[in-house]
Amino acid sequence: MSKNLELLVFLPMVCAPFSYWIGRAWKRGRDVFVQAVVILELLLVITILAEEATFVRWEGFCGLGIGFASGSFHSVMAFLTASGWLAATILSQEYFAHVKHRNRYYLFWLVTLGATMGVFLSADLYTTFIFFELMSFTSYVAVVQTEEPAALKAGDTYLAVAVIGGLVTLSGLFLLYYQLGTLQLSQLAQAAAQAPNRSLLWTGGLLTLVGFAAKAGAFPLHIWLPTAHPAAPAPASAVLSGVITKTGIYGVAVLSTTLFLHDSTCGTVLAVLGAITMVLGAVLAVCSIDLKRTLACSSISQIGFILVGLSMQCLLGHHNALAVAGTILHIVNHSLIKMVLFPAAGVIHLSTHSFDLNKIQGFGRGKPFLAVIMGIPMLSLAGLPLLNGYVSKTLLHESIVEYIAVAGQWSWLVTGLEWLFLFSGGLTLAYMLKLFICIFVEAPPTADKWRKHNYIASASAVTLLIYAITMPVLGIQPNDIMDGIASFARDFFHGEAPAHPVAYFSMINLKGAAISLLIGMILYLTVVRGLLMKQGGERQYWDPIPAWCNLEYGLYRPLLLFAAEVLLVTAAFVDRIGFRLLFRGLPAVCMKGYRWLLDRRGRLIWLLTGEEYVPRPSLEQVVDDPHFGVYADHPQAERGVLHSFAFGLILTGLGLVFAILFIFLH
Amino acid sequence: MYGNWLVLPILFPILGGLMATQIHTLHVRRLVVSTILILQMLIVLPVVFYDATPYVALELAGVRIVLQGDPLGRLFSTLICIIWFAVAFFAYEYMNHEGHRERFFGFYLMTLGGLMGVCYAGNLATLYMFYELMTLCSFPLVLHIGTRKAFEAAWRYLAFSVAGAGLGLFGLFILQDYCVTDLFTPGGVLDLSLAQQNQELLLAVFLIMAIGFGCKAGMFPLHAWLPIAHPVAPAPASAVLSGLITKMGVLALIRVAYYLYGWEFLDGSWAQKAVLTLSLITILMGSTLALREDTLKKRLAYSTVSQVSYVIFGLMLFTPGALEGAVFQAIFHAIAKNALFMATGAIIYKTHLTQVSQMRGVGTAYGISMWCFTLASLSLVGIPPTGGFLSKWILAQGALQANEGAFTYVGIAILMVSALLTAGYLLPIVTNAFFPGADFDRSNIVKQQDTWLMWITLTMLTAAVVILGMFPGIIEPAIQAVVDPLFP
Repeated sequence: MSKNLELLVFLPMVCAPFSYWIGRAWKRGRDVFVQAVVILELLLVITILAEEATFVRWEGFCGLGIGFASGSFHSVMAFLTASGWLAATILSQEYFAHVKHRNRYYLFWLVTLGATMGVFLSADLYTTFIFFELMSFTSYVAVVQTEEPAALKAGDTYLAVAVIGGLVTLSGLFLLYYQLGTLQLSQLAQAAAQAPNRSLLWTGGLLTLVGFAAKAGAFPLHIWLPTAHPAAPAPASAVLSGVITKTGIYGVAVLSTTLFLHDSTCGTVLAVLGAITMVLGAVLAVCSIDLKRTLACSSISQIGFILVGLSMQCLLGHHNALAVAGTILHIVNHSLIKMVLFPAAGVIHLSTHSFDLNKIQGFGRGKPFLAVIMGIPMLSLAGLPLLNGYVSKTLLHESIVEYIAVAGQWSWLVTGLEWLFLFSGGLTLAYMLKLFICIFVEAPPTADKWRKHNYIASASAVTLLIYAITMPVLGIQPNDIMDGIASFARDFFHGEAPAHPVAYFSMINLKGAAISLLIGMILYLTVVRGLLMKQGGERQYWDPIPAWCNLEYGLYRPLLLFAAEVLLVTAAFVDRIGFRLLFRGLPAVCMKGYRWLLDRRGRLIWLLTGEEYVPRPSLEQVVDDPHFGVYADHPQAERGVLHSFAFGLILTGLGLVFAILFIFLH
Repeated sequence: MYGNWLVLPILFPILGGLMATQIHTLHVRRLVVSTILILQMLIVLPVVFYDATPYVALELAGVRIVLQGDPLGRLFSTLICIIWFAVAFFAYEYMNHEGHRERFFGFYLMTLGGLMGVCYAGNLATLYMFYELMTLCSFPLVLHIGTRKAFEAAWRYLAFSVAGAGLGLFGLFILQDYCVTDLFTPGGVLDLSLAQQNQELLLAVFLIMAIGFGCKAGMFPLHAWLPIAHPVAPAPASAVLSGLITKMGVLALIRVAYYLYGWEFLDGSWAQKAVLTLSLITILMGSTLALREDTLKKRLAYSTVSQVSYVIFGLMLFTPGALEGAVFQAIFHAIAKNALFMATGAIIYKTHLTQVSQMRGVGTAYGISMWCFTLASLSLVGIPPTGGFLSKWILAQGALQANEGAFTYVGIAILMVSALLTAGYLLPIVTNAFFPGADFDRSNIVKQQDTWLMWITLTMLTAAVVILGMFPGIIEPAIQAVVDPLFP
């Protein structure tokens, strides 16, 4: 049943306009229709999970032809996408109950689903790129859905990053295709190994990396995440963070496992990027006082963890079993966790109409259900043993430890990376504790006016609960399910199988988690409670990062505007040169000559004839025409002549005379 | 097929145009113009399938008027006939708020005759003749509204075009002594032994001709007519002017470079590098100036300046891939730019808004037009799966094959920067139109019923950009037929 692959991609896209048409007449029908399509999509994904890996190719489509593959990482990501989309669709029904423009939202919602599927199932980089671009543009609608000024601004940033990243990636693909003659994932590694011009290959690879890294949210192109996530509606930010950032990771993974398979330079680049992203995101998250912004910055930080995993997968060469498993599982875990946290934040927003920590303080008091569904993913992300987050973080940590042993003279640097890793893990706990304590423990600033019950619709509650329960289920017996997922997806990364099952709950692994958690506790008590809360009449959270200290508004926007300004001045100059010469310069020169002659007319005539020249009109003319002599020196009339077509004709005529002369003389 | 058939597609629209000027009843005129355009497509049809042998129509004092139907000419003529028909439909409705409709449709049809002549010209003298005919017939289209500004713009259009064509003619005078025949022949007709001795002269002449014909294509330094003529011309006239008439400059340049000189003579010469430089300057300049232009039609005109120079850049690289990319770009730009001008025209027709800054929220009232505008814009930026992406891909691959050193990489970099600027000047219009903001009062926008005449062909052109982008196999054989004989 290889047909399913194209169906997965194109079914939602084809259904999207129908949802729009249905929605114009019958809103309830549209909601049911959209849910049905997403459920069907999930069922189709389950069929491809059950089947052997397949491969489909459409020759000639979009020029080079596109190809889809299933199995391994493709199937895992397809499943995550479809299930995440289903959850978000169910949540959307509650979240959007009283919102305008839902038709538009669902139209693009379904197209984005198809495009995201296309990215994850793509069997060559050309296909990846086509669907990647499509996804970037259609998901823009989700970001600006509310049309609030902040959302429009965030949308501009999102679109700008998408367009710039996309174009840089495209130029990278030009170079890669020219060099290698293929973009098929299965042939890339071999073709790259034989490529004669390494520097060109590197240029191509790095350029291609930019767009994908931007979408993943890696430093320094992470700028779209902290603004786009808070602006988008909660279900949309859930898939933006849980699924769409992973398309960027998919692209990076494709490059690091084919073009730069086991390449230590690529590994180093990714390690540096990953480390910066990991720490930066976590620091931003600790400082943030906006619930969704904190979660978005947390996403940046977790993407950093994944990038570190990918770098270890490159650096460790053939001994990368732990790194590969850790990377895959952290992708899956982060997706699951954010699929709960963002909608839960949306639930809070539905009641409080705010994401500001100082305003939602104490919202969760007396709401044990909400505390459970938010607490589990928060602790899981912080890496608490018995939850799924612990498993992937342990694997990533172990892979770094493994690399310390083989790094030789650079081992001190890798040890530094390990400590950064543990420190970021600690920061994760610190910001999660900050959120949890703020929402569920602290007393509300004013009298509690929020509803105790019915703050969440039952369908949403069940969906979130299922997700939340999955986490301990996966985490308690990691060797059963999680190792299974890792080994299922391993082929894509060209990873090795581990020599023996990992003992997740051994002392050494628990020690790593304990150090990280301890750092987190200390950081929370000292930094968050000590520094980031204003002591005074009321205890309030405050953001220590000044407004100007912002990459986007402090650097990128001014830089781009400056570049545009310089280009504009240059272009305007170039544009006017020819025009000015022909229509201003030449007439001006003629005019000057004419004036010059006019000034010397009397003198010239006196020289030639010896008589004084007196310009004197004849008597009859003066009598006939009172304006005679006024016209001649009227400046407007002169300019009129020279600007008129007559002047053009004179030029043309002169040209023709020259041409005819040329013919005669030739 | 006999070449004398080719007289028909040239003369028929000219005669039809003369007839249309005499019809004063609205519905009859629409019927007659539609019939003429449909018959025109039928007349062109045999040429699409069969090569037409050169046919000497006239011989005057040593100057031969020769018609021929080769793959290049037939590709462009098919494209022109289809788009001309589509734009005519749009014009029926649009011209309702302009006067002198007889004159407009008369010259509209006569211009088509001129374009057909340029496509089917068998030698440069014939091409020049029809080139001037095209200019003269399209002159009243620019002049149409008859204001002072329109007069200025139209005269400037005429002056630039005549000057440009004059430079081309000047080239012809010199070139004819070095050619073995005057017929356009793939691979060139230069008398090589004679040409080698006068290489510098011939290269200089080539540069002059490229600048001259580049005038119609909006290439720097003779591009200034475009941003002046477009805003004043009625939307259908701007559409064909920008989408198709600029392509005739490109066609003339292909004829000169590939069919008279032969690319091997020019490859690697300083003249090639000069034209490449000019085209790159134009690409960057056009899209940069479009960035700050508030008059929408002027912005689109600068966009044309930039986009048509992609074609010139591609065809001057002298590799099969780059030429293929250039022809793809010419086709997709023609379709997309016509769609853009028609969408813009539809909005101007209903709302009388001409500035970009006034376009806030129009997408909510004029969904179909704005959707077409969006898709056509994405094609110009080069976003898959539209045609613009495909042409950019092929063009860039061709540029890499050309291995022109710095030109390849600088060229690709400039293509990318220009694509970014294109996104910068087109996408904000789209986002502003569709997402005016929560505080926007939607009742500000005058909502009128879209009439089907307005959008039916607009949506068809837009669909063509997307569908041909997804399935380029439909037109690829025709383009291969152009490229293959040139690179044996």
